[in-house]
Amino acid sequence: MTASSGPDDDLLAAEYVLGVQDAETRVTLEQRLKRDVAFAAMVADWENRLGGLNDDFAEVPVPNLLPQIEARLFPTPPVRRTSRFGWFAFAGGATAAVALAVAVIFTSMPAPPALAPVLTTLAAADLVYEVRSDGDTLQVTRISGSAAPDGQVHELWLIASGAPPVSLGLLADAPLEVAYTAPAGGWALAVSVEPAGGSPRGLPSGAVIATQLISG
Amino acid sequence: MSEPDPVADLLSRVAAQDRAAFRDLYAATSAKLMGVLVRMLRERAEAEDAVQEVFTRIWLRAGRYDPAKGRGMTWMIAVARNLALDRLRRRTEDQADEEAAEAVVDPTPTAERRLMAMGEASRVSTCFDQLEPAKAAAVRGAYLSGLSYIELAARHDVPLNTMRTWLRRSLISLKECLDR
Repeated sequence: MTASSGPDDDLLAAEYVLGVQDAETRVTLEQRLKRDVAFAAMVADWENRLGGLNDDFAEVPVPNLLPQIEARLFPTPPVRRTSRFGWFAFAGGATAAVALAVAVIFTSMPAPPALAPVLTTLAAADLVYEVRSDGDTLQVTRISGSAAPDGQVHELWLIASGAPPVSLGLLADAPLEVAYTAPAGGWALAVSVEPAGGSPRGLPSGAVIATQLISG
Repeated sequence: MSEPDPVADLLSRVAAQDRAAFRDLYAATSAKLMGVLVRMLRERAEAEDAVQEVFTRIWLRAGRYDPAKGRGMTWMIAVARNLALDRLRRRTEDQADEEAAEAVVDPTPTAERRLMAMGEASRVSTCFDQLEPAKAAAVRGAYLSGLSYIELAARHDVPLNTMRTWLRRSLISLKECLDR
């Protein structure tokens, strides 16, 4: 089931949409879907054909899970519990002036990133990216090695189990901060080398130089 | 082809990071997706967890939805089914066997009646009618309940290879009928 395309591919696509194959075959086909446009089109055609059965799925009332979903996707950004300003804001009245002075001193220092726990690291030879997560922000910092050569950039990808990669952003010298909950166990992070500005097609287009599975 | 597709419109706004559209999309589609996930995962708590993951994926991937290739709801249901299938296939073989033994008979008669409601769906229904009932039930069981080849073979009490041949032939005739 490699590159060749023919009538059997159409059946494979049909079986994939039907979902009857084992986990291993599904993973293989999902990889293929990412790079084989013709195969992806066959899958889309079968999704439409069998989609006629979708009326058989009855609606089932579901509690409002939006708050949880939004908390995963859009954590409230600015005032962090660990922020020095947030802390000083509570100090109040008499100490305000002192607090302000101290705060100015603090903020004029190169601020170390808020110390969220290390989730994992992504490494390739001497290149190491450290991934921290405080539960609602991912912070990715290069702690060793150098940036991509001129005209290229490292791009960070999140791969949910069995799904195509989703770009989380470009990795430059400054730490990358992404509003995102801690990825689930079994998901993977990957770094690819892309042309400046990032992959033009929303999926890794250049060499994948590091991958790391998130342990559950 | 160019019938109004409000879900597709919401998806294109979600792709542009429109959070209000995301809320509207949840209101409009979550009960249907919950129906898909409950039916396939057969466990309410897991289905609720899966709904959250499905909507997370939809927010992150809405940009990949192409209205030229199908209706918005079809795409969203495909996202939900793929998540459910990946979870089902990862459950152990033992559990799968147990579930296959317990699996309830597909509620086909009611489903058939509901299918008649829409043109596209009624065409699917007509095409299913041309299959032998056992084979049509196998295709439905796979699509709607997420049964694997192994589970289907156990449920219909036929060898695995026979089930494979059944389904492949059924898919070929369905395609001929639907593309007509």
